[in-house]
Amino acid sequence: MAGRRSRLALAGAGAVLAASLFAAHAAPPPDRWWQPGEGRSFPAKLDYADPTGTVRLLLDGGPMETRGHPFFEALGPNGRACVTCHQPADAMSLAVADVQRQWDRKGPADPLFAAIDGSNCPSLPQGERASHSLLLDHGLIRLARPWPPRDLTGKPVAADFTIELVRDPTGCNADPKWGLKSADPHISVYRRPRPVANFKFIEAMGFAYDPKAGMPLELDPETGKPVSGNLMADGRVPTLSAQMRDAAATHLAFLRALDKADIARILDFERRLYVAQQSDRAGGALDADGAEGGPHKLQASPPGRLGSQGTPVFSEFEAWEKTPAAEKAKLSPEVRAFRDSVARGARVFRDKTFLISDAAGINSPVGFGNPVRNSCVFCHNMSYMGMDVAPGQVDLGTTNQPFADPQPWLPLFRVTCTGRPHPHYGKTILTHDPGYALTTGKCADVGRITLQSLRGLSARAPYFSNGTARDLRGIVDYYDRRFHIGYTEQEKTDLVNLMRAL
Amino acid sequence: MKAALALLALAATGAADTQAAVRFVACPIYRDTDAGRKSGCWLADDPATGTRYDVTSAPTKPDWNHAVLVEGRPDPAAGNPCGGLVLEPARVSVLDEGCTRFMLEAEGYAGRKFALPRRNVRPLYEARTPPARPFAARVVTVPFDYDSSFVSYQLADYYLDEAINYALDVAPARITVTGYAATRADMVSGHKLAEDDGLARTRAELVAHALTLRGVTAADIRVTTGTDSPSADEAFDGLDAPSRRRVEVRIEPGSATR
Repeated sequence: MAGRRSRLALAGAGAVLAASLFAAHAAPPPDRWWQPGEGRSFPAKLDYADPTGTVRLLLDGGPMETRGHPFFEALGPNGRACVTCHQPADAMSLAVADVQRQWDRKGPADPLFAAIDGSNCPSLPQGERASHSLLLDHGLIRLARPWPPRDLTGKPVAADFTIELVRDPTGCNADPKWGLKSADPHISVYRRPRPVANFKFIEAMGFAYDPKAGMPLELDPETGKPVSGNLMADGRVPTLSAQMRDAAATHLAFLRALDKADIARILDFERRLYVAQQSDRAGGALDADGAEGGPHKLQASPPGRLGSQGTPVFSEFEAWEKTPAAEKAKLSPEVRAFRDSVARGARVFRDKTFLISDAAGINSPVGFGNPVRNSCVFCHNMSYMGMDVAPGQVDLGTTNQPFADPQPWLPLFRVTCTGRPHPHYGKTILTHDPGYALTTGKCADVGRITLQSLRGLSARAPYFSNGTARDLRGIVDYYDRRFHIGYTEQEKTDLVNLMRAL
Repeated sequence: MKAALALLALAATGAADTQAAVRFVACPIYRDTDAGRKSGCWLADDPATGTRYDVTSAPTKPDWNHAVLVEGRPDPAAGNPCGGLVLEPARVSVLDEGCTRFMLEAEGYAGRKFALPRRNVRPLYEARTPPARPFAARVVTVPFDYDSSFVSYQLADYYLDEAINYALDVAPARITVTGYAATRADMVSGHKLAEDDGLARTRAELVAHALTLRGVTAADIRVTTGTDSPSADEAFDGLDAPSRRRVEVRIEPGSATR
C-alpha cells in the first residue's frame, strides 16, 4: 500500500514537472523511465522530481544524442541496456518506486524483469510477480558469483573458508542449474544497482595506499596502472571498462564482447555525468544563499580529497549557519527550519562521535583499535561525496548476523573459516551476502561492502547494498542500533535532512 | 588520586631518569574518554608488577577481544591523561589469544585530543620534494608487529612509502630487500614468543611486491633474509625488541641490474 502511494506520488510529481515542461514547449515530455533504444537526446541539464524534491543531472559537454549509443541501446537478446538499471530519474541507479511503476505498466515483459537477474531465479515462472519479488519489493538485482571465487583472469582463488546454504527462500542457491552444487557452481546474492555518475570521485586516488590492506593500491592488469578500489559492492572489478564487460556478459546477456569503441563511448558518457539533489520541496534550492548543494559543485571540484585535511565533508551547507538574522527572517519558517536542520545534520555527521566496534575494514586489520571512537566521516571521508578516499570495503554488519536486520526474503549462508578465524566473528559466520569475500576468498572479508557515493540519495531508495534501509531514516536507525550511538530525535531528523539534501 | 596512581606507577618501575623498556602480554582495557575522534585510551596491566600502563601512543591500537604484546618505555613526564603510566614510545601487537572485553568509563580522565602522527603518508595530490643529487645509497627500514606481515598504518606505511619514493626518484637503482623475524624464543609474561622462520621471507616478499605495485622494476629487486638481530633504526624509537621484526630496503642508485 505504501509502495503504491509512493508510486502515485512520484507519478504525480512527474506529472507536475511534465505539465510545466509541456506548457513551455507545447510537446508532451518523455516519460521519466528511459527505455532502451528510444533515441532521446540527453541534455546538458536534466531535472526529475523525486520524493523529496528534484534531482539534477549535469552532463559535461552535453547535450548528447543517445541513438546508437551503447549505454542506451539494447545490447543483447534480453532487450536490456545499461540505462535499464541506471535510470536518470533515479540518480542513475534504480528506485524501487520506479521498478513497481514499471511492473504496473509493462509487467514481466519489460526488459528490467529479465529472467537472468531481474527475477529471484531464472528457473522460476517468469510471468508471476512472486518470481520478481526481490526486485519489486526491495530493488534488488541477482548477482551470480562463481564459487570458488575467480581472479580477473578467471583462475580459481583458493578460499580460506567454506560456504554452505542455511536458508534459500528464492531457491536459486539450491537450484540444480544455477546453484551452489550445480555443474557450474555459483552463489546468488541480491544487491542494489550502484549509481553510474560522479565517477571523477569514485575513480579518484587520494593516496597511493590502501590502509585496510596495508599495501599500495592494486593495479589494473590491463593497463598496469593503480586503481581506486571503490567500484562495485564487492570490488570484483578494478575499472569501469572491466565493469562494462562484466555487466554486458551477465545483466545484458550480451553474447559478444563489447568492442573498444563501445567501451570508449560508455566511459566518455559516464565520466561526464554528475548527479545530486538540486532542490528540496521544503527547503527550496540547495545552492541558495551561499550554500553549494547540487551537482554543479561536484562538476567544479577536485576529486579524492580527504575532508579532514581540506574541505570538511558536506561543509557545502555551512553558509546557512551564517545567514544574517535579517536575511533569515525573510525566509518562510519551513525553509528556515530545513536549512538549519541540514546545517546541523552536517555537523552531527562530522562531529558526533561514537564507539565503532567489531567492524572489519575499520577495527581490523588497520590498527585503529577495537573499539575506536569516531564519527560518520571516519569512513565517509571524501569531500563533496562522502565515500572513502581509500578503497572502502567495510563490514557494517548489514549482511552479517548478529548485526544484520532480519531479512527473511534473502538467502542465508554459513561460512566456516578454515584458516585463522575471523577477527570479530570467530570461526563461523552467518551471512546473507559475503560481499568482498566472494572476490578475495578471504574469511576476514566476509560482509565487507564497498562504501558508495552519498549523492542523489532521495531519488534512489532503498539503501545499503541489500536494500534493508527502506528510507533515509532507516539508515540512521540502523547505525544507531548497530553502534549504540544514542542519537536524539532532533539529530536523527537533522541527519535525514542532510542526506535528502545531498 | 590520579597523581597518586602515577607516582605509585613510577615507584613500581624505577627511577624516572633511567626508564627501562617494558615488555609484557596482557588483556587490554579500553577507557572511553571522549576528546573527539580517536581520543579513547588504551591501558594494559603488566602481570609481573601490576603496573597499569597507558599504551595509547602505539601506532597499532589493541583489540579488546584479544591479548596484546606491549613493548615500550615509560615516560613519566607525559602526565596522566588516561589513568596509567604513559608508554612513549610504545608498540602493541595484537595476539590470537582471546580476552574478555573490558571498558572503563572516562572517570574524569581527559584522554588525548587526536593529532596527526608525525609519521603519516601524504596524499598524492600534495607536491613532493624529490631528493637532491648526487643520490646516495640509503637503507629504509620498515617495522612490523609481532607475528605479523601487515604494513601498519601511520608507522610501517610511512617507511614503506619513503623507501618506494626514494627508489622511484633515484631509479635506476639496485634494491636489496632483507627480511628479519624475531625467531629466537623469549618468555614474556609466561608466553613463549617466537616468530616463524618463514616470516622474514614473507615480510621481505611483501615489501618487494609493494615496491613493484608502485612501479619499481621487479628485475632491480633482490629479496633476501637476515638472521634475528636488533636494529638501531629510527623506526623503532630506541626500542630493541620490536627492532628484530623488520624489513630493510637498501637502495643503491645507479646500480640497476638491468
